Amino acid sequence: MVALLVRLKLTLLRNSLRRSIWRTVGLIIGMVYGLAVVLMAIAGLIALRFTSASLTADVTVLTFSLLTLGWLLVSLLVFGIDETVDPSKFALLPVRARQLLPGLILAGLIGIPGVATVLISAGLVVSWARTLPLTLAALIAIPLGVSTCFLLSRTATSAFASFLASRRFRDLAVVLLALIGAGLAIGGNLIGSLAERGLFEVRAVLSNIARVAGWTPFGWAWSIPADVARGQWLVAGTHLLLASSLVLFLWLAWEHFLGARLVEPIAGGKGSTKVGKGGLVDRVLPATAAGSIASRALRYWRRDPRYLGGLAGFLIAPIVIIVSQLLNPSVGGSLAMLAPALTAALIGMIVAQDLSYDGTAIWLHITTGIRGRDDRLGRVLGVLVVFGSLVVILIAVAAALVGRWDMLIMVSGLTAGLMLTGLGVGALIGSLWQWPAPQPGANPFQSSSSGGLPALLSLSASTLGTLIASLPVIIPAVLWIWWPGSAI
Amino acid sequence: MTPALSLAGLSKSFGSKRAVDNLTLDVRRGCMFAMVGPNGAGKTTTLSMATGLLRPDAGTAMVLDHDVWRNPPAAKALMGVLLDGLRLFDRLSGSELLRYVGLLRQVPPEDIASRSDELFDALSLREAADTLVVEYSAGMTKKIGLACALIHAPRLLILDEPFESIDPVSGEAIRSILRNYARAGGTVVMSSHVMELVESLCDELAVVAKGRVLTAGTLDQVRAGSTLQQRFLELVGFRAAGEEALSWLRSSSASS
Repeated sequence: MVALLVRLKLTLLRNSLRRSIWRTVGLIIGMVYGLAVVLMAIAGLIALRFTSASLTADVTVLTFSLLTLGWLLVSLLVFGIDETVDPSKFALLPVRARQLLPGLILAGLIGIPGVATVLISAGLVVSWARTLPLTLAALIAIPLGVSTCFLLSRTATSAFASFLASRRFRDLAVVLLALIGAGLAIGGNLIGSLAERGLFEVRAVLSNIARVAGWTPFGWAWSIPADVARGQWLVAGTHLLLASSLVLFLWLAWEHFLGARLVEPIAGGKGSTKVGKGGLVDRVLPATAAGSIASRALRYWRRDPRYLGGLAGFLIAPIVIIVSQLLNPSVGGSLAMLAPALTAALIGMIVAQDLSYDGTAIWLHITTGIRGRDDRLGRVLGVLVVFGSLVVILIAVAAALVGRWDMLIMVSGLTAGLMLTGLGVGALIGSLWQWPAPQPGANPFQSSSSGGLPALLSLSASTLGTLIASLPVIIPAVLWIWWPGSAI
Repeated sequence: MTPALSLAGLSKSFGSKRAVDNLTLDVRRGCMFAMVGPNGAGKTTTLSMATGLLRPDAGTAMVLDHDVWRNPPAAKALMGVLLDGLRLFDRLSGSELLRYVGLLRQVPPEDIASRSDELFDALSLREAADTLVVEYSAGMTKKIGLACALIHAPRLLILDEPFESIDPVSGEAIRSILRNYARAGGTVVMSSHVMELVESLCDELAVVAKGRVLTAGTLDQVRAGSTLQQRFLELVGFRAAGEEALSWLRSSSASS
């Protein structure tokens, strides 16, 4: 079964590369990046071989904990997971989740992030091969650590996918997702500000952070060789026990979600979801083609997990900025006031991806022969209703928290300018360029095998376009902030 | 009288494969027209080009004197379309979807409301009107798709496999809707695999294979004294597999 699934993955990968030049380009760019990262990491790990055991311990525990954390964050918030071998496709075959699991893990690791992680982790052997017990400890830690990375991303995305798909938990899941992202980023910020205290203390700070990281679930496995090197056998045993229990727990949890998908591959196929009749949305928006497209968009923001997941991503940056400012009030609060403008600058992406998210359902728009401007206008209107209100709330919250009411007019103007420009840029880019987005009803964390490259390119293009087109708004705002004598 | 649908020299290639090869076809007004052919004959590709979804490499498609590719809005306004294997906006409920398509088609809102009511009753979808389309069965999805194609009272209906996964009761309901529609002067062009259905429902048909029209005409002209099934198999050149084919299937059922 393992060999079969691995072969299936390789065949699917090969065929998808044959079908689309984009995927080949994405794969090559990814491979170049991946190779560079792997080479640098392995060079670093080899260099550590010639330093003291305690420095090796601190550096490896910290970096590998961050790597594990990265797997979780990137799969939840940025790229999603690679589901080339889609488990729900096995629903008709007489197999159990337990039989599929080992093969799915190996097949899932085939890909740039998986291979890079395995190679970098293997480099750990070089750093630690100083004595026989240390080598053994590294050899035990590596498979545990790599499995934690992979299982953590799969279990977390499965859990959030099912939460986002359920009517009861979807709002909670959006908030939770945003808070997890924001919390981790704020934690990173704090560590960063600790490290700024001075070069003398860096070594001590590093050691402290590494110790803390080693006791988080992200660092349990990676701490085993470090503990052995310090001669702390009891701690090493505890870490081994914790790391193995974590892998076992994640394994069982993923098996549970996998089993659920084998029995019920179609999300939301309960057949009982009734929706309210003639809602508020229809009464507020005009009964025209553009108005109906906007009201359809508003319903999708509530009902489609893909849109809800995206909303969570958009809340992270402003929360991080505002909370960091509150924790560190010396800067004066001007940055927190600018957080809504940052969100507004990213809005173009939402309009740009809208057509791709329709998938094949767009045939309805084409065969009805509506005018292109109605399509664009409706989509822009829908995004404006959702994000316009979000941005207004953000401005009010930021002003109330940091008390910079004097900046209110400037920030409102800047945000409005960026948002309206972003809507226009997004409408243009979205009409020129569509890419294979996750299908409606599919796992919202699923990425195509091109590794989310088109989505990332579209985000960069629409954000860059927005910033360039908004220069007439940005320049006066910058002058206002840094004008000699303005008290900021 | 100009034909309801007139395809002239339509061609489309995907890479080296010629999916539709210089296809020419006229459908007269008020006719129930069927396009039959084996899998991969180019039926869906042809209908996609006729409805403005897929730009042909060559040739023209005219709907009641309007060129689909020169003046798309005018031609599309006259057509109601249901295609197989494409998604609907399935996070809307049945009535929301119908209202959505109606507004895109610029049907006045009060007409949408009254027509929706009649369509939901005629297609026995009343119970499911407020259920999300994603939770519909395959047959119900087909029926709501048909309702979307009818909501703006089109002059020409283009239906790709309209009876696939439809149960006999709903099938009869759809047949009577289509018959009444054609009797009142509307034109129906549908693709199908099921010869019995075509024989009982349609006036004229075209047999398509490898992207070309093999024969076209009234039911009796195409049948030429034989059954449609027999004639179809002769035209596309089918040869039944011998007795020995798949013999392991028999032995496996005997041994287990």
